Amino acid sequence: METAPIPKGAVLINGLPDVGLVGLLAASHIISSLKLQEVGAIESDLLPPMIVLHGGLPKAPVRIFASNSMIVVISETAIPVSLIRPLANGLVDWARSKGIKLMLSLGGMAVANRQDIDAPKVFAALSAKELESKLRGAAEVLEEGYIVGAYGLLLRRCAESSVPAITLLTQSYYNYPDPEAAAAALTAVNKILELNVDVSDLLKRGEEIRLRSKDMMHRTQEEMGRMNKSHEYDLPPLYG
Amino acid sequence: MSSESRSESSPTHGSGWNVAAACIQPLYNLFVAATEVVLTVDLPYVNQKQVKLSCPTDDCVEIYAETSRKITFRELGAKHRHGEFTCYHARIRIPVPVDENRVATKFKRGVLEVHIPRLK
Repeated sequence: METAPIPKGAVLINGLPDVGLVGLLAASHIISSLKLQEVGAIESDLLPPMIVLHGGLPKAPVRIFASNSMIVVISETAIPVSLIRPLANGLVDWARSKGIKLMLSLGGMAVANRQDIDAPKVFAALSAKELESKLRGAAEVLEEGYIVGAYGLLLRRCAESSVPAITLLTQSYYNYPDPEAAAAALTAVNKILELNVDVSDLLKRGEEIRLRSKDMMHRTQEEMGRMNKSHEYDLPPLYG
Repeated sequence: MSSESRSESSPTHGSGWNVAAACIQPLYNLFVAATEVVLTVDLPYVNQKQVKLSCPTDDCVEIYAETSRKITFRELGAKHRHGEFTCYHARIRIPVPVDENRVATKFKRGVLEVHIPRLK
């Protein structure tokens, strides 16, 4: 559902709730830092029957924000497993109709020793080999492995539909909101898109962000359990 | 990658905000490894010396940690809800026999990590 004109040929950033809420925290920070305007929402009967109040007004939990050159999608509720496939397909078809030049999905990659990592590393899964040059060294390319959830399906649908897509997975806690990882993800986004979004606020307000997003993280963890997210930590399949 | 991340099966939490006791139930993660149980707890607004750990029974770990300051629902964005919080509390059941006399802890980046050896 579009409530305002949506630019053509923009970059689309996805910030869906996932491991460590990395994408949601990073994308929300982009929306507030760059003062993006709300331009639409994603409606589905598969979403929980709920709204979110913002500034006293009822809003859909999955919303679209935009500037002239950038579109950001965030969800303020955990995406139910049953919605993931229709959401991924719908989002890619919509992106194609808008002539999206790059879909950038932001997520987390759980690591057991996260506490000991000062600078979380960023990994990238690509819809096409030639996108590697777009990374400008900001992320290491993932060659083998599983991606469970919306970002996996989005990437494949993008590859099939010839929509250039990069999924950035940043080392993070599995089930604790991780603003430091979100800051690392945003630093990579800054490099790839040649932006200059200041990440210091994410780090400064780290404790507040962690506590405020505790319940969101918990609900996301329940959905990640239902979708067998732990499959991602299996070894890559034997034959490529 | 270690399988600590495979923790979806960890026990679910309740609503997590106990106004009557001014207590927050923290997010936590329990992983049963071959020789030990590793428990981590996310404790924003807590200093290491405020963390108290005990084993009230031999199959349970109890964590109590005062926050470094009072936290209100209002400052967390829920202006219509009254309530303030001064501590975290969690009572976590350990699913295998452990040696509760040999508990080792580490506190870094606001996350408590507890290692308890399993009994053979």
